[in-house]
Amino acid sequence: MSLNAQEAEVKDSIVVQEKYGLRLGADLSKITRSFLETDYMGFEINGDYRLLKRLYIAGELGSEKKTTTTNYLSSTAKGTYLKGGVDYNMYENWAGMENLIYSGLRFGFSNFNQTLNSYTIYDTNSLTWGQNEVVDTESFSGLTSGWIEILLGLKTEVLNNLFIGLNMQIKARLFESEPDNFENIYIPGFGRTYDSGKFGIGFGYNISYLIPLYKKAR
Amino acid sequence: MNKKSPLTPPEMKKHYLIFSLITLLIFSCEKDDICADTTQTTPRVVIEFYDIQARDEIKAIPGLFAIGVDSDGNEVPIHNELVLNRSLIALPLQNNSNQTQFKLYKSYALTDSNVSGNPDVITITYDIETLYVSRACGYINTYSIQTFSIGSDSDQWMSNSQILITQITNENEIHIKVLH
Repeated sequence: MSLNAQEAEVKDSIVVQEKYGLRLGADLSKITRSFLETDYMGFEINGDYRLLKRLYIAGELGSEKKTTTTNYLSSTAKGTYLKGGVDYNMYENWAGMENLIYSGLRFGFSNFNQTLNSYTIYDTNSLTWGQNEVVDTESFSGLTSGWIEILLGLKTEVLNNLFIGLNMQIKARLFESEPDNFENIYIPGFGRTYDSGKFGIGFGYNISYLIPLYKKAR
Repeated sequence: MNKKSPLTPPEMKKHYLIFSLITLLIFSCEKDDICADTTQTTPRVVIEFYDIQARDEIKAIPGLFAIGVDSDGNEVPIHNELVLNRSLIALPLQNNSNQTQFKLYKSYALTDSNVSGNPDVITITYDIETLYVSRACGYINTYSIQTFSIGSDSDQWMSNSQILITQITNENEIHIKVLH
């Protein structure tokens, strides 16, 4: 849109006011999964504060507990995480609407512990002596990890000040403390790790409420 | 009102890029949870047989056949073990014990459920170290051989032995040399 056109529009119409404030919410997908999946418990609250027309300061605080079971081992990761960064609204709203299609950037940090519940020795010759599962619970506590996250999402105002939103995250681990003779299979906030490298993915389905603090002409 | 479309072509492109990236990530990761057959498994102890007359020369044993012996002295058949003329044998060690015994037969034959041949009993003691492999395969055991002994009997065919490599980490090397 050219500057002239914008000026003309402002002159022609009533000045449109946009709400600025603090939006607080929770991740519904984590709550839903906690009920549906026996090996998962998670909760996340999130918030953003509108700084500029398109820029928001955003963050998430959460807790997760996840048990991973493969043919040869079972492990449980449990911990809390904090993510902070910004969201940038790419969406050009119609007058009176305040929806977002945004991309965001986050730094995430997790403090967690991991328990090796049981494992079976991988032995293709075990038919002779029998395969024995080792149930020798070993706990690794005080583990930390940090990562960077790029996200893409949308937030729609469904009722006055009430928003529902979806987002997807691509993450890259910056650091992690490795447990001795084991590895971090799941990192709260980051999600499952992959053998292939430092990348991870995540998604969120949020409901949030905007506490309007002031209005500003767009 | 002259409004521009919320998704302009460059933005659409960016979205497609991100979506395809996610799809790629999801599909490339399934293999992480399945233990591949090619993964190095818990190794067996490898024994090679040499000539007592010419100690550097490999000498095959006619009709070599191995049977496991558990801690109560019961015979335990070894999976996939066959009677063969050979100079090399790989034997699985017990993972819940620090000692495994085997009966090694020379000229083994089974006729009308009567076993013939010359059995010698070997005893291997070892320390076990458990090593993490991956989420899909879990752990493997590696062994550190402490002792290798041949039980003496009146008709002993194995004369002498030597531990060549103490650490059993794979099956590509000879751990024990036996002279006969």
